[in-house]
Amino acid sequence: MAEITFHGVTKVFAGNVTAVDNLDLHVADGEFMVLVGPSGCGKTTALRMLAGLEEISAGTLSIGGRVVNHVLPKDRDVAMVFQNYALYPHMTVAQNMGFALKIRGESKAEVERKVREAAAILRLGEYLDRRPRALSGGQRQRVAMGRAIVRSPQAFLMDEPLSNLDAQLRVEMRVEIARIQRLLGVATVYVTHDQIEAMTMGDRVAVMRGGQLQQVAPPQVLYDHPANEFVAGFMGSPPMNLVRARTSPSRGGVGLAVGDQRLDVPGAYGASHDLPREEGAEVVLGVRPEDIDVVGSDVSGPTLKTRVERREALGAEILVHLSVADAGAASSVAYDEDVAVSRPTMLVARMAPQARVEVGDVLMVRLNEERLHFFDGTRGVTLRRGGA
Amino acid sequence: MTGTTVGARAPRLTLRRRRQLAGALFALPAVALVAGLIAVPIGQAIYYSFTQWDGLTSTWIGPSTWTQAFHNPNLWTALENNAWLLLAVPFALGLPLLIAMLLHQRVIGWKIFRSIYFLPTAISWVVLGLVAERFFAFQGTLNSLLHFFGLTHVNTNMLGYESTALSALGITFVFTMIGTNTMLFLTGLATLDTSLEEAARIDGAGRWRIFRHITLPHLSRFIQLAFVMTVIALFSALFSLIFVMTGGGPGYATTTMEFLIYQTGFAQGDFGTAALYGLILFVLTAIVGIVQLRLIGSDE
Amino acid sequence: MSLDTPPVAPEVPADRRARARRVGRGALFLVMIGVAVVMLYPFWVMIVDSLKSENQFLSGHGFSWASWRTLTSTIPIAQEVVSSTIICAVSILLILLVGLPAGFAFAKLRFRASGVIFLAIVSAMMVPLQAILMPEFVNITRLGLTGGYTGAVLVYAALGTPFSVFLFATYFRGVPDELIEAGIVDGLGYVGALWRLVVPIAIPAIATVTVLQFIQIWDDLLVGLLFIQNTSERPITVGLAVLAAGRTTSIPALMAGSLVSALPAMIVYLIFQRYLVKGLTMGIDR
Ligand SMILES: Nc1ncnc2c1ncn2[C@@H]1O[C@H](COP(=O)(O)OP(=O)(O)O)[C@@H](O)[C@H]1O
Ligand SMILES: [Mg+2]
Repeated sequence: MAEITFHGVTKVFAGNVTAVDNLDLHVADGEFMVLVGPSGCGKTTALRMLAGLEEISAGTLSIGGRVVNHVLPKDRDVAMVFQNYALYPHMTVAQNMGFALKIRGESKAEVERKVREAAAILRLGEYLDRRPRALSGGQRQRVAMGRAIVRSPQAFLMDEPLSNLDAQLRVEMRVEIARIQRLLGVATVYVTHDQIEAMTMGDRVAVMRGGQLQQVAPPQVLYDHPANEFVAGFMGSPPMNLVRARTSPSRGGVGLAVGDQRLDVPGAYGASHDLPREEGAEVVLGVRPEDIDVVGSDVSGPTLKTRVERREALGAEILVHLSVADAGAASSVAYDEDVAVSRPTMLVARMAPQARVEVGDVLMVRLNEERLHFFDGTRGVTLRRGGA
Repeated sequence: MTGTTVGARAPRLTLRRRRQLAGALFALPAVALVAGLIAVPIGQAIYYSFTQWDGLTSTWIGPSTWTQAFHNPNLWTALENNAWLLLAVPFALGLPLLIAMLLHQRVIGWKIFRSIYFLPTAISWVVLGLVAERFFAFQGTLNSLLHFFGLTHVNTNMLGYESTALSALGITFVFTMIGTNTMLFLTGLATLDTSLEEAARIDGAGRWRIFRHITLPHLSRFIQLAFVMTVIALFSALFSLIFVMTGGGPGYATTTMEFLIYQTGFAQGDFGTAALYGLILFVLTAIVGIVQLRLIGSDE
Repeated sequence: MSLDTPPVAPEVPADRRARARRVGRGALFLVMIGVAVVMLYPFWVMIVDSLKSENQFLSGHGFSWASWRTLTSTIPIAQEVVSSTIICAVSILLILLVGLPAGFAFAKLRFRASGVIFLAIVSAMMVPLQAILMPEFVNITRLGLTGGYTGAVLVYAALGTPFSVFLFATYFRGVPDELIEAGIVDGLGYVGALWRLVVPIAIPAIATVTVLQFIQIWDDLLVGLLFIQNTSERPITVGLAVLAAGRTTSIPALMAGSLVSALPAMIVYLIFQRYLVKGLTMGIDR
């Protein structure tokens, strides 16, 4: 068991694609680190460099204090779980799990004992003599896990191990993998594009975008204090509402123009953010769907007049799509796009199912001023007094 | 565990280099075998085609060997025979197509029929040539059939006459190709999406229209492949048949290019000319082969 | 029989249509039997003619086991079958030993110029032996390899390798990279990955190559005729062809020999039919 350190690790593929750009990341011994980000952001490449399947273009990578840049995969003592499981089709479950040990020359009895142990942990005992073809998706996934576990490696590397499972099984295995990892206490790097997996499984989560690390933090910190607009929009479902606004300072507080409406952010709080003081500076205002409440028209503070455009009942809650009553000049920001598309400013609010809202209603909503986020209008970084 | 420096220092072989080296080593025996026994002889053939060569000593003569060869009537006879045999190709494709369509109807026992139809594929063309000889012989099956149908005064001996021997060879060739080509077409038909046919039938298309506009276009790749394989067989696989049925005769009536090479080299001991003929055959099949590569290549 | 039915089916009573269909099927069945008779004709000739003595054959009347009883003295059949078997087995083994690593290399271990080399090897599929017959013959003779089976085996292996490399490479391209990477992370080298992961997965492709090459080599004449000098080491096809071309051996004996020679390839073929079809259509049916 060991810690893992990426130090300035970079991968440039032929054709000048920089898949991973100067990655600094430290995974503590026993830690469950989730690498998350949209498809193509370099997660798999980072993991494959760690496994030794891909060469490192620059930087150093160490496992347990040993620099492994040029160490062969078999000498790195890491186990990998592949997205498509990559089970050996001509071997039984037991043979699959014991293969690495057999190659290493461990005795038959020893291999068998370790396989049995792992099978017990994974509840695979009765399938040991089956071939992968005769297993369900979830069972195959377990075998892939088992193959990693039996080796008691320094680290587990998992590349989207749940993405081939159906939704229900995914939820089950999410819990299962987290349980096993905690049980064994092996440092784990888990790659996924699914922010729910990231939130629920990781001790810490590293968010990547375009080969670059955006933020590393425990899930709740990411959720509550995203370092930038991208992280804010990526974590959470439905994502954080991101609205373009312009500053209009007044009476010692901060005012924001959202479309042709004015949003008052009470002075004391506004001061704690590093919002530009000048008139008309562009910022992005972020508010999570659960931080929007319907109020009467006489309430002060950050309120907006909106119209209900759509209503999605999800059973336990409803999602209400609101358009900010507006002449149409304002636009919202889509989190995964650099270019904002001009369209009426929309907000998604999460409400209790009892809320009596209908399409067409005009509502006054109040944004939870304790939980507002502000981002630089051009660079997207969080504006917060005291930086970071 | 090894020291920290080991992993930090670049080894002689990077990961990629290791993979490439393994790849090159793995490919080496195959490359050597093909190079040594196929590529090198092609080069040698080019060299020897300009020489007087009896297998032991060769004397350089130059391009005149080629002009001489092209003045040799035997070469033209052989090429002509090959050209005439091309007439067999439509039959070697059409009959199997028909048979495959029949099998595709899946009447009872079609699997047994399929096995029976393919069975001759397993037999050596030497044996099929022997059987064909029995069929065309003076006292053979063909004459028995003709007599049975009332043509009692007709007595053929197709292999015995210059005018008919080549036809007999062509007919035998068609028979030998039936199994392989039927197999190809049946595989092609099996990959045909039946819902297409059904949709067409619902739209009121008749059988001919369905065949012409759905089945045939779908089979086109298979037909192309069968065509190429048949033509190549025609140029380079008739040796066994000719060897046992006619020995190239009567006269030169059934001497094709490949048999001419054999005769020139081993009966006349003129290795140089035989090598030259080989090159001509090589060019002929290469033309067809390029078409074949296109077919395979377009899949990747 | 008209293949073209009018676009809109006229009102035909259901039972009449059903009957027409039955008649059609019946006719089809008869045609299929007709084709079967034609395709079985060679076997019928071999069986009937072999069950005659030479005199019975000439007179056209009567049957006997005479030709079968004297078969081994007319044709050295046992020794020829042994020769054929050895040549087939060794050639196929060589083709597999050379083709499997090469197919793996071209599919998964891309090296410098591997694409061009692959194309060159595949192109060699198109070179007929006759085209290079003279230099090949002289080379093999000079190397003194026509004495035993070695020369013939080498030539068969060289002729069979291009196709097997092509087939294996195509097959291995369908094997996910992750499977091999899993093996490498588990501690295998490339040699280990080849023999312990790739080869066991490739059994169907190996079967295809084996069956195709078996039939090809067992049935071949030219290589055996020229590259095996000793008559006592002749494979069966060569033995039959030479006797037939000599026109001194009795037809019934030849037919009996032919049956014996045809049997192994037929059995292999009947058992492994589907691999044969797969190999033939490799690359164009998906
Ligand atoms: N072998 C390769 N050669 C060239 N580019 C590659 C290769 N593998 C990945 N890439 C590129 O690197 C980037 C990151 O890929 P990847 O690590 O697979 O992303 P992720 O796993 O986050 O979806 C992508 O733009 C991808 O196209
Ligand atoms: Mg990925």
